[in-house]
Formats: sequence, structure tokens, C-alpha cells
Amino acid sequence: MKKLRLYYEEYNKRPYQLLWRHFITQHFALFGLVILSILLLLAVLSPFVSPHDPYLQNSEILLLQPSWQGTGLVAYPFGTDDLGRDLMSRLMLGTSYSFGLAILAVSGAMLIGLALGILAGMTRGIQSSIFNHLLDLALTIPSLLLAIVIVAVLGPGLLNTIWAILLALLPQFIHGVGNAIQQQLKQDYVVAYRLDGANNWQILWSVVLPNLWEPLSLLFTMALSTAILDIAALGFLGLGAQAPTPEWGSMVADALDSIYLAPWTVALPGLLIFITVLSVNLVGDGLRNAMKKRREN
Amino acid sequence: MNFSYCRFGSLSLVLWLTGCQPATMANNDQGLVYCAEGSPESFNPQLVTSGTTIDAISQHLYDRLLDIDPNSGGLLPALAQRWHISPDGLTYLFKLRPNISFHQTDYFTPSRYLTAEDVVFTFNRMLQVEHPFFQTAIEYPYFDSIEWRHRVKSITALSSDEVEFKLNQPDSSFLSVLATDFAAILSAEYGAQLVAQQQKALLDIQPVGTGPFKFRQYQKDVLIRYYRHDSYWRQHGDIQQLVIDIVPDNTKRLAKLLTRECDIAPIPRLAELQMFSNRPDFKVEQQTSMNVAFWAFNTQKPPFDRVEVRQALALAINKPNILQAVYFGQAEEATSVLPPNSWAYRKQNLGQSFDPVKAKELLTQAGYPDGFNIDIWAMPVQRLYNPNAQKMAELIQADLRAIGVKARIVSYEWNTFRRKLRQGEHDSVLIGWSADNADPDNFLRPLLSCAAAVSGSNRANWCDEQFDQFISGAVQTTDVAQRRSYYLAAQQYLQQQMPLMPIAHSKRFQVKNSSVQGVMINPYGGISLVNAGKTP
Amino acid sequence: MILRYLARRLFLLGFVFVALTVFVFSLNYLFPGDLVSNLTGLRDISPQKHQQLQQMLALDHSLWQQYIAYNRRLLAGDWGLSFASQQPVLAEILQVLPATLELAAYALCLSLFAGIPLGLLAAVKKDSLLDRGISGIALVGYSMPVFWLALICIMLFSLQLGWLPTSGRLGVLFEVPSQTGFIFVDILLAEHVSRSAAAYSALQHLAMPTFILAVYPTNVMIRFVRTSMLEVLEQNYIKTARAKGLSRSQVLYRHGLRNALLPVTRQVGLQFSTLITLAMLTEVIFSWPGIGQWLIDSIYQRNYPAIQAGLLVVSSLVICVNMLTEILHTLFNPLARKL
Repeated sequence: MKKLRLYYEEYNKRPYQLLWRHFITQHFALFGLVILSILLLLAVLSPFVSPHDPYLQNSEILLLQPSWQGTGLVAYPFGTDDLGRDLMSRLMLGTSYSFGLAILAVSGAMLIGLALGILAGMTRGIQSSIFNHLLDLALTIPSLLLAIVIVAVLGPGLLNTIWAILLALLPQFIHGVGNAIQQQLKQDYVVAYRLDGANNWQILWSVVLPNLWEPLSLLFTMALSTAILDIAALGFLGLGAQAPTPEWGSMVADALDSIYLAPWTVALPGLLIFITVLSVNLVGDGLRNAMKKRREN
Repeated sequence: MNFSYCRFGSLSLVLWLTGCQPATMANNDQGLVYCAEGSPESFNPQLVTSGTTIDAISQHLYDRLLDIDPNSGGLLPALAQRWHISPDGLTYLFKLRPNISFHQTDYFTPSRYLTAEDVVFTFNRMLQVEHPFFQTAIEYPYFDSIEWRHRVKSITALSSDEVEFKLNQPDSSFLSVLATDFAAILSAEYGAQLVAQQQKALLDIQPVGTGPFKFRQYQKDVLIRYYRHDSYWRQHGDIQQLVIDIVPDNTKRLAKLLTRECDIAPIPRLAELQMFSNRPDFKVEQQTSMNVAFWAFNTQKPPFDRVEVRQALALAINKPNILQAVYFGQAEEATSVLPPNSWAYRKQNLGQSFDPVKAKELLTQAGYPDGFNIDIWAMPVQRLYNPNAQKMAELIQADLRAIGVKARIVSYEWNTFRRKLRQGEHDSVLIGWSADNADPDNFLRPLLSCAAAVSGSNRANWCDEQFDQFISGAVQTTDVAQRRSYYLAAQQYLQQQMPLMPIAHSKRFQVKNSSVQGVMINPYGGISLVNAGKTP
Repeated sequence: MILRYLARRLFLLGFVFVALTVFVFSLNYLFPGDLVSNLTGLRDISPQKHQQLQQMLALDHSLWQQYIAYNRRLLAGDWGLSFASQQPVLAEILQVLPATLELAAYALCLSLFAGIPLGLLAAVKKDSLLDRGISGIALVGYSMPVFWLALICIMLFSLQLGWLPTSGRLGVLFEVPSQTGFIFVDILLAEHVSRSAAAYSALQHLAMPTFILAVYPTNVMIRFVRTSMLEVLEQNYIKTARAKGLSRSQVLYRHGLRNALLPVTRQVGLQFSTLITLAMLTEVIFSWPGIGQWLIDSIYQRNYPAIQAGLLVVSSLVICVNMLTEILHTLFNPLARKL
């Protein structure tokens, strides 16, 4: 039942709703979001919805063309690879490796980064200063290089790659979270709360953390695009996923052999990586713009 | 062609079509680029068996006493003008060609022509422990595997141009051995110089030979540079510089061919042959080749010590499938180690086919009803006999899964791979062999004899007295019919024992730029560019 | 003030190098295999030799002393042998490093010369079609997997059109001995070679890798400069300047540009690290004989002495360049001197 309004009351929308309203006005960002949702669904459901067994070799149909070209078959929309495996099924399963695992790695890095970032942000003094300087330096080393270093130590393999990328992304999160907390602590409402007698942990819990989701979601999208590119790059270099795992980067590397005969086996996985990263970046940019507009209003 | 014109030419498609393009890639001063699939392991053929090394060094740098006629497989005179065999088959006398000059390079200036002393120096290295260079090599894989030291009694220079080989037993494959690419003639004078300089290791690193090209520069995994040997004894092409560009990656090699960075490329991807044969600016050459790709089981390790297991694994593999996917139909299915064009070939199809049900039965008989786990070592490089071992391994992996055997594909960097193979660390390995002469002995002895198990070229680590008797019996007679019956028996025995599973005999292909002429691919061993030339 | 700042930076640098060497030293223990082999790069060591080496490496002493001995060897240039070639690792690195530096330097220049003007243009014409175009292209380039782009370019420019070679630094028929490692210098020093033809060949080989390598940093640069310029344009001093009656171009040139480009100096350091990393991918694809390809090969070959040395050199390089650009940034920008 609706309350009877006796007098004018300013009705504030919740910040999430506001953000969403600003977000959906950006068509490209929305488009990116739709693609990401589809990819996410695929990453979870690919084993159930893929039309063929992605590992099944069929020597009758080696390097079958995609269905829109001359000899293609409708049953194999993207054709087959040089061992006669259905490319579409492999690409679908690849979603869970290249995209799904990237999300896992970034989420992991975010959780650990959040914990460490809070520690870094809430403490002051000489330890914090040394820690921050080291962090600054770790940030100057690109994540891919860090990941290569870590893979060099752990040895090649998909699981090691995920660990490597998780560790390599960590400094970004610690740094980002730490900075955001420091900024929050300078705000007037924090000072007011403190004057009310709140201790550090109360401030953290009820004021700082709820305000962190904004910078965190931006960090997340940036890290996600890095993670996808890095997993693919390591896969391409042969340091990440190993055959026959259909990770997109390693699929590009495997298909190099047949690049003249079957350019689509190289083009399609690469295109997927590109579209995924582009969508992530579009959503990230969209979020940033929406946040800016929300703050300006 | 004007240089600045070219620069603009490369910006504009129209000008490019006018023919500026070839000059943009290389200076046209009579250089030839051969894109090889790997680095040579040594610059002395005595120390190697790999076809890649042989291709890169032996026909360019060296000559042999005898050559093999690429068409008939018969023997031709080379450094030896004439030869004579004593009636008892124990003494071989060679008369050398006069006025053969060795290479003059930065590090060596020859003072004399080839003499019998050089031949003695060359072949005694593998024979006599007191030879100054005997110890500088760890092994002589080819000569060890054919038991050189047991076959040859002595080598003597009768005069400056006459050499006598004395054998312990009559040996009908002896002349073929001397005609292989491994039997390259070195310079004794250079050897003496190195001994004096205490730089003995350089004999195999900075080569001196009598071949059509002389050594100039080598950068591992990058390139080898040879210059023309102007005083070569045969008539030869006018290529001033031969560069062997080392491009291990198949796709890159092809790309280089298309961009004219390479003039000749061996082992093209069979799948792309069609594309090249349709283009007028490229020429595909093919030659039947004496080679075999196989899957060797390390018979020293369980479960491969059981014949039933080896038989079962061989039955489980769908060979036609492999021929299609790996060789794109450009190879023949192998049923024996010997290729069909060998005179001792035995056609066999008894039970040797694809039969997973029987394979499963055999495994149960052998006491492995639930299968087992094995490693398949797949070589990381492309070779003539196997263009893609990795892919072959994946196919075999899938076939084995059907009979409950779980296979893991293992690969190392090539040098490590070979070292570990020699030490017998593998379970099973996908590898192969290219013959160096037409003699069947050249397949069976280096691959499967007990001597080869010691020297390391026997990938199955298989040592069987019965088999050794067959192949020793075969070389002690010159009667071809009799030899043939020995080899047939040996092949039948192999069929039964299955220390390795022969997979395919592949043809030898190479693609070259149409402007290159006179390239000879030899069915027995290395490529020869003696007569190569380039039309502008 | 500034001296104190420099001293602090130097101290930090020293500290980082200690941390780096400790890390690399500990790799010897983390890698599988024999410790003596990992440290020296020797293979198949005989027992007596093993004993002798243990003494030399101070393995019978405490870890601390081993670490000191390790550093001493590093300083003396004794970095061990490569497993693969049995050659000194340091010499190999010095041979491949110039190729990478050369490639990275050209790509960096390209990214600065293309990225800064485009970024400024996009910022000044904010929300125009031009801005949308530039930003869109930047976003696309920023999302492109480098290796894939490289493959597509090879397909197009080398295989289809035949304009550019696919690999290496120089046509193999040019015999140019490697003296400095920098190709154009080497060509100048080389004898018996047509220099102009060789230089042209080197240029052709350089074109595609440089372009590919520059794509990502250029787009990062465009985005960075655009954001930086937009921020500056919103500052009060710009409004003040406009209010004082300066023309738009005067404001942009005198106040906007200078302040917007200041952070770029720092960005150059970060760009350099990105370039070195991406150079690894580029080098692998174009068979460019640089340290990236060398390091990746070493990882494949489990060539531990080479991996260690490669990591040490690459990380030191990245850290030093970053430190340098940060110091420069601070010198130019007094606001950044937080003490």
C-alpha cells in the first residue's frame, strides 16, 4: 500500500540504480555487458551445450571449412581443426578456460588484494612506507612479465598460469585498495564518525568498505582484461595451457601450422579473445563514465 | 634496379607488380638461401646420424671415395677413381683422383693436394685408439652401429694415391658404407695443424673438406654461411655464397619461401604442396626416399618387455588415420622397417592391421586387463620421415584410450630429448630413420642390432641374438638371393617380436623458387647443391 | 631537499637489488635438479669436480655466505654457463640484449610520436567525431591480443602482398658481423657489404615488429594523454587563464600542454616495461634474436642458469628505467616531491 504523501519529500534513488541509469544510456557499454553475460553463461554451461565432444578426433573431416564457405557442413558451423575436432565446441569450452579462469584468477587476486590493501591502507608509519615503495616497484613490472617469471619457476601448465596471473595481479589490487582507503579516510564524514567515538575497525566496516565497491569494480574490469590477455599470451607461448586443452591462446598457436590452409582456425580464437577483451574494456569505460556522471549530478 | 625506386615500389602495389619485389629481399649477388629445419649437431658427418645435419654439411663441405647414383642406387667413382676387390673379398684397393684441393679458409691453408694419407687419417679415427682424434669424440654413432672396428682390420696408404682396406670378413655392404655421407674425407694436414695448436676439438667445429663449398660462419640456431670453393675438382654452379638459414618452425619456413627469403625449403607441410604446385613461381620436387617413421618401445622397461603388450599396442593403432592426418596421404603405410623400394622388402599383412578388439585380448593375456599408463615421447622437431610427431602422438593417444591404455605425451627440447633417449629414459618414442645408402643393412643394423643398443641408435633398446645372427649372416655373402632370404627372415622375426612399430615411409619433398636450378635431392642422404644456380 | 630525495631513491634502489638477487639466488634452490649444476650451468659433473665446485660456491658454508659468494660471482661477471650451449650466459645476454633494446626503443619513439598528438587532439576536440574515432581506435588497439595482430599482419603484408620479410633482423645474404649488436652501427662497421642495400634490408625487417610492438603502448598513450589533458582543462588555472582573456590556443599551449605532458614522463618508464614484455611475444613471432626470445627458449629448455640471468637482467633493466623516469618526473614537477 502506498503511503499518502502529505508533503514534498525528496526521493533519492539508490546509488546502484542511479549508476545503472547512467550506464544503460551508453549503448556500446551495454553491448559489451550483453556479450560478457553470454560468455559467462557459456563458460558455465559449455560442457552441456556444445554440439560435439571438443576432444573427439574425426579423421574423415580434417580441416573442414566453416559452414558459410564452400565445403562446410551445417553440423560444424565453424568447421574443424587439423585433427578433425569441432571448432565451435572447442571454442565454447575454451570460454571456460580463457574467460572463466580469468574471472576466477581476478576474483582471487581481488579478495587477497582487498585483505592486504586494507592492512596497507589502515596502517601508517615506516612499515607502511616501505611496503608502499615496494608495491610501487612491483607495479612497474608488467603483469605478463611477472607471470612469465612465475611460470618460469613453477614450470609450464594451465594451473600454474592461473596462480602466476593471480600473483601478478595482486600488487594492482593492494595498491588500488590502499589508495582508495586512504582517500576515504580523508573524507569529512569519516572524521565526523571518528569524533563520534568510532574506532578504526568500525570506521572500516561501516563507512570505508561500503564505499570501496566503486573503485573495486573498476579495478576488477581492468584486471580482467589484463588477465584474459595474459592467459592467452602464455597459452600462445606454450607456457600456459597444454594441448589438447582448448584454451584460446594455445588454440591460436596450435592452429599456426595450418594457417595457410585453414586461416579460420587461427582467426576465430583470436577474434574471440579480442571481442572478450573489448567487451570487458567497454564495460569498464562505461562504468567509469557512469560513475563520473553520477558524482557530477 | 634502382634502389630508391624499390623503396617506393614497396609502398605501392602497382609498382610491386612491375617486378621490383624480388630485389627487395636480398642482394642478388649469386647467393642461395636454403632454409633448414634444424641446427647441425656437428660439422663432421662421422659424429652424427641425423638427416638434418647431413643435409646441412656433408654434400656441401665434403667428398667421399664413392658416390651413390641417385637414379639406380649403384656406386659411382668420386675421390676414388677406380677400385679393386680381391677374390676372397677381404682386400679393397682404391686409386685416388689426382689434384684434389682442400678448402683454404681463415684458419687453414692447405699446402698439398689430397693424398692417401688423408684417407687413412679419416678412417683410422674410428678404428685406432691411438689415433690423435679418437678420443675427441664421445662416439661415432654410424660407424659404431655398423661395427666398423670389427669389420675393418687395417687401412694403409700404399703410395700417395693408393689406399688399401683389409677386412676381417668378406662384407658385401662395405662399398656402400664408404659411399654414405658419413664417410666424408678429412684433411690429415689440418689434423696435424690442430694437434700442434692443441685445438683438437676444432676438427669437428671448423671443418675443412674438399667439397664444393667452404665453411665461413656458423651461428647456432641462426645460420650457416658457406663460400664457394673455387678450385673444386668437379664442374660446379656459380653460387658464390650458400646460406643455410635455420628455421625450425614449419610455418615460418613456408612463409620465408613465399616472401623469397628462402630459395629452397625442405620438408614443406604436405598439406600445402597443392598450393605450391599450383603456383608458377614455385616448383615442388619430390623423390622417393629411403626412410621409415616408427614407434619404438623401450623393451628394457615393463610392460614393454612383454611381446604380447608390444603386439597389442601395435594392433591398437589406426595407421591409415595417421597417414591421413599427419602425412596428408603423401606417405606409404609401413608394414616393415624396410621401405618397399628396397630390394629386400618383404610384403606382409599377416595380422598386421588395426584391430582394437584383438589388442584388448592380448593385453588381457599379458595380464593387463585394465590397461596401464605409458609415456609417448614425441620429438619436438620436424623430420623428413615425420613432419609432426606431436600430432601423431595425439592420434595414438586417442587410439590407446580405446584399449584402456592411458598415454602421456612427453617432449623436451631436441638436444635434451636426444640425450635422454640415448640414456634410455623413455617408455616409447615416436622417431624414425633415413637411410644413407641403398643397402638394407643400413636400416636393420643401426636401428635394431645389439651394437646399436649400446651406441644408442637402437631406440627400442632391443638386443636379440637371433636377429643379430640374421643380419650378420646377410653381410657375409655377396649372393643377393641369399642375402635377401636372410633379410626376409629378419623382417618376419621383427614382425613377430615387434620391438618397434613401423608407421610410414614418407616421400621426400622440397619446394623451391622457380629461379633456382640444379638442385639434386638424393634418395640416400643429403641434399646436393653442387650444380645449383639461379637465373636472374 | 632534492639531494635527500635522490638519496632516498638510491637507497630504495639498493634495497630492491638486494631483494632481486635474493630472489634469483633462491631460484637455484627452487628449480629441480642438482644445485651445483643450477649454479654453474655445468652438466655431467664428475664427483671430484663436484667437490671442488662445492668449495668454490661456498656450499659448505651458511646460506648467508653462499649468497655473498653468489653476489661476488655476479659482480665478477661469472654468471655460469647455459645448459643448452655450454657458453657463458652473460656473453649470450650481451649478444641478444641490443636487439631487444633497439626494437623497444624504436617502438617507444613511435608510440610517443603517434600517441601524444592523437591523445591531445582527442582531448581538445572532446566529444567530437574525431575524438570518438580516436578513442574508438584506441580502445580497439588496446583490446587486441598482440600475437594475433602480428599473425594477421604477417598474413597480409608478407604472404599476401609480399612487401615485408617475416623474420630476422637482416637478409641472411648480408654478411654483417655482430660487433655492437645494434644493427645499423654494425652495418656501418661492416666491410665488403653494400651498406645502403643492407640498411634498407634492415629497415624492412624492422618495420613490422616495430609497428606491432608499438600498437599497445600507443593506444595506452592516447588514452593516458587524453585523460590527463581533460583533467588539466578542468583545472581552475585554465579557467583563470581563459578569464584573463588568453585565446584558446594560447591557453592550451602555455598552460594545458605543459601540465598535461608532465605525467607522461613517468608514463614513459611504465611503457618501457610493457614494451620489454610485449617484445618477448613479438620476438617469438618474428624470430627476432633478442633477449625475449632467448628467455622464452630457455624456459622451454628448462635452462635454469639462463632463466635466472635473463630474469635478473630484464628486471634490473625495467626497475632502473622506471626509477630513472620517476626521478626525472620529480625533477620537472615540484608537486610530486612528497617527502
